[in-house]
Amino acid sequence: MKIILFFLSFCITIQTQAQELFVVTEPASNMATGTIGLRLAQSVLKEKYEPGNNYHIMPEVMWGVSKKLMLHTAIFISNRNKSKLETEGGTLYAKYRFYSTDDVHKHFRAAAYGRVSVNNSDIHQEEINTMGHNSGYETGVVATQLIHKVAISSSISYEQATNNSKVNKFPTAQINNATNYTLSFGRLMYPKSYTSYKQTNINVMVEFVGQKLNGSSKSFLDAVPSIQFIINSQARIDLAYIQQLYSTMYRTATNGVYLKLEYNLFNVTK
Amino acid sequence: MKNIILIIAAIIATNFAQAQITKAELVATGLTCSMCSNAINKQFKTLPEVDSVTTNLNKNSFTIYLKKGNTLTPKAFKDKVEKAGFFVGSLVLTMPFDNVKAADNVAITTNNTNYIFIDTKPQTLQGQTLVKVLDKGYVTQKEYKSLQKALAKYPSYVANSNNNFHLKTM
Repeated sequence: MKIILFFLSFCITIQTQAQELFVVTEPASNMATGTIGLRLAQSVLKEKYEPGNNYHIMPEVMWGVSKKLMLHTAIFISNRNKSKLETEGGTLYAKYRFYSTDDVHKHFRAAAYGRVSVNNSDIHQEEINTMGHNSGYETGVVATQLIHKVAISSSISYEQATNNSKVNKFPTAQINNATNYTLSFGRLMYPKSYTSYKQTNINVMVEFVGQKLNGSSKSFLDAVPSIQFIINSQARIDLAYIQQLYSTMYRTATNGVYLKLEYNLFNVTK
Repeated sequence: MKNIILIIAAIIATNFAQAQITKAELVATGLTCSMCSNAINKQFKTLPEVDSVTTNLNKNSFTIYLKKGNTLTPKAFKDKVEKAGFFVGSLVLTMPFDNVKAADNVAITTNNTNYIFIDTKPQTLQGQTLVKVLDKGYVTQKEYKSLQKALAKYPSYVANSNNNFHLKTM
């Protein structure tokens, strides 16, 4: 079923062929060399089995090391401990662009990436998420096609969870590794025609994020529609809604809003 | 003797000026977003030799005006575009020539850089002249494939050296 959906959406979009600065997934392209990006991501997801919301804040710094390599680092803060916001851990992410073929107003790129995360929160669901819930690592490949105003990007990765802490060990009854796949579409809606760098750009996007626990039939698929404003060709405001399409695994908070702010400082390093 | 030195100095100075780039019109490939274009724009502005940059965001073209007396070669522009994560699709230079005899496969040399005229009828170049760079990395990947076949008879083109630039007058 997932494969059919994957293939179908691929076929539909390949006809139309945007923009690839996705909200919950990363494209194969990197930031410019020497650029530092500052991000603040916030999500408010409704708790399914208890009252209230699960609130996460993730400050992130990104660095374009060279034309092919970029690094991200982020820290995870959440209200998992209901009384107050706590820093639960952090992550290091690297992406290496190994293939590029460009033409006027189009490109196809491929990159390999890896992430290592630590997190000391309690493990409370079957979903594996090294972006704010689990300690562990993730490694994968992503390919992105841009044609004029439309971008399509897809990734596949292997994610391995480890013990979160001495107290919060990974439950032995659960599967600790998974295969993730994503499919993202983005389209530049405004302006129809550019006049200056000061013009606000508006992109609309929809991203599909799925996971399957390896060696089991447990999986889920989320859809994330979003609108993005690019201001002064330097700052980004992304507003997204995360909606679970289906899940056969235990997840505690799935649906809600996601807000991401980003500011880029060009040519900070050589 | 003094006069001879002065004459030689004048010739060197003239040759130097002959191959100087005063303006570069560059089309970048692989992008449509203004933030991407801005990344390239900001890269060009890090070059001290650059006087100003104007941009056409719809065409992803950049017109780079250079300061007098600069010794930049086309590679400087290519490096900057690639540092921003993109590629050069076309580069047209404006060079002030003073009575330069150009012909097919004739080179002018300055600062260890050879500018070789390709597919050019014998002519004398005078004043601001537009030339297109034909080398790998200065044209689209598709264009390079066809140029590779068309220009196979020029050994220096095939050799693809960083010090040789192949120019076609426009």
